[in-house]
Amino acid sequence: MIKGRAWKYGDDVNTDVIFPGRYTYARMEPEEMAKHALEDLDPEFAQKVRPGDVIVAGKNFGCGSSREQAATCLVAAGVGAVIAKSFARIFFRNAINNGLLVLEIPEAVDAIRPGDEVEIDPEAGVLRHGGREYRFPPLPPTVMEILRDGGLIPHLKKTLSKEG
Amino acid sequence: MRGRTAIEKIFAAHTEDEVAPGRVIWLELDVRSARDFAGANVVKRFREAYPGERVADPERTFFTFDCNAPANTIAYAQNQQICRVFAREQGIAVYDVDSGIGSHVLMEEGIAVPGATVVGTDSHLNILGAVGAFGQGMGDVDIAFAFRHGRTWFEVPPTMKIVLRGRYGYPVTAKDLTLFLVGKLGARGALGKAVEIEGEAVEALDMAGRITLCSMATEMGAISAFLPPSDPLWEFVEEAAGRRDFPYPTPDPDAEYAEVLELDISGLRPKIAAPPRPDNVHDVADLEGERVDTVFVGSCTNGRYEDIRLVAEILKGRKVAKGLTLKVAPATCRVWGKLLKEGWLEVLYDAGAVITHPACAGCAQGQIGMTGEGEVQLSTGNRNFPGKQGKGPTYLCSPATAAASALRGKITSPERL
Ligand code: SF4
Repeated sequence: MIKGRAWKYGDDVNTDVIFPGRYTYARMEPEEMAKHALEDLDPEFAQKVRPGDVIVAGKNFGCGSSREQAATCLVAAGVGAVIAKSFARIFFRNAINNGLLVLEIPEAVDAIRPGDEVEIDPEAGVLRHGGREYRFPPLPPTVMEILRDGGLIPHLKKTLSKEG
Repeated sequence: MRGRTAIEKIFAAHTEDEVAPGRVIWLELDVRSARDFAGANVVKRFREAYPGERVADPERTFFTFDCNAPANTIAYAQNQQICRVFAREQGIAVYDVDSGIGSHVLMEEGIAVPGATVVGTDSHLNILGAVGAFGQGMGDVDIAFAFRHGRTWFEVPPTMKIVLRGRYGYPVTAKDLTLFLVGKLGARGALGKAVEIEGEAVEALDMAGRITLCSMATEMGAISAFLPPSDPLWEFVEEAAGRRDFPYPTPDPDAEYAEVLELDISGLRPKIAAPPRPDNVHDVADLEGERVDTVFVGSCTNGRYEDIRLVAEILKGRKVAKGLTLKVAPATCRVWGKLLKEGWLEVLYDAGAVITHPACAGCAQGQIGMTGEGEVQLSTGNRNFPGKQGKGPTYLCSPATAAASALRGKITSPERL
């Protein structure tokens, strides 16, 4: 179960503003990366985000360069999920591979306002907000398993050790 | 069983899972690659996740250095060296800073062939649709995982079909057709979809034109673009791989499409994408007269031999406008060599161009430099987002428009020459 406040943004949020390109080659630990999350879009975000908070955005979230730090910096910042109308596919993959829940729920995006409380039960496929429930189709089973295991690499390690 | 689209055919040959749009499958990867951009992060991820372990298949794993080649920042040089050291340990081939743009090298070397599945850290890897391969750019974790396990998960995308009616002729080129499509569809027009493009005009494309068209699928939001096979394609494949017997992913006649779009392209005129987005597309004629400071010819979209030769043909015996700089970067070493041996580099030199190493060059803020604030650039590349190639505004156009504009020092349609 994910519970937190909403941080709301518009369409076409690109990976350059999620994690600034000027830090691409700086070797950073997660805590350091978290400090730069969304720096060029919303300088307040990194200071005020709390674990479990949810990013709510419009269409094509994560477009642009394939930099993976765009996903890892959000994980490091404690973001519980990203809800958008749609995602750029490379970002979508990067998020799941790093254990970050990403959901396309357009009606919820329209309803949620900045700072609203949002609750998400990914297993049941429900988002709760303002006394309403939004149902979303569950993610494909493989994707859910990867998310439950905390990302792609831990997932396959687990699978392989089970197979013995 | 329902018919399959191009991408579904490739996937079905590389998985045991059921292939249908929306399904997540485990996909076997024929080729796993990383470029200098993110390559060092892949190595870091690999070392963290798999200490002391080996890549699944060194023969099918590659590094390609192109973003900044040869490196002109210490950070890039160090990252490239991290990749080289890892490659030596693991027995992986490196296409080093003297090779060219990785996606092109993979095609030229016969590594990316029709029907193959290829992943790498280049977000324009879908360019491999030009040879009928599935190419996909991915993040560091994905690629580290692919290096180790030789497979990955992938969500089968729905396919959209675009049927082009009519044809065009010089000075309209493949890039104008491509910009027209990007403008029509917009940055999200094909979001998350595979795209098949067909029609008389597509069949008539040479290999460079196929590459141009497939490269900008990225700018339409598409997973990848696929074209019907053609003679120029098979000639290219034969030269690259030494054989032709590859399973080309021709869609079944009863394949299912999420959407079919018919577009009439007769009357198409030279196109240009104005800043700040690739889908901000206009007729060149409507922007004529704007001052241009610098022209960049190259990139994975228009850095082929045919593209650069066309520029040289237009410039032959003439000079670029006074005060304007013309920068040329062939896509690969082979392209560079062919231009050299056939005398086209001399023609470009005589016209006043500066020619640099094969690589991404201006497209990636690489070895041929960036623009300063207010410096207006015309580029044959694929992206003109603010900051991508420096501070100045960038317009995207065809090699013919680039050459015509270089001669006049302002945006000029090649229709005028
Ligand atoms: S030329 Fe530009 S778009 Fe193409 S691979 Fe290089 S950096 Fe990417």
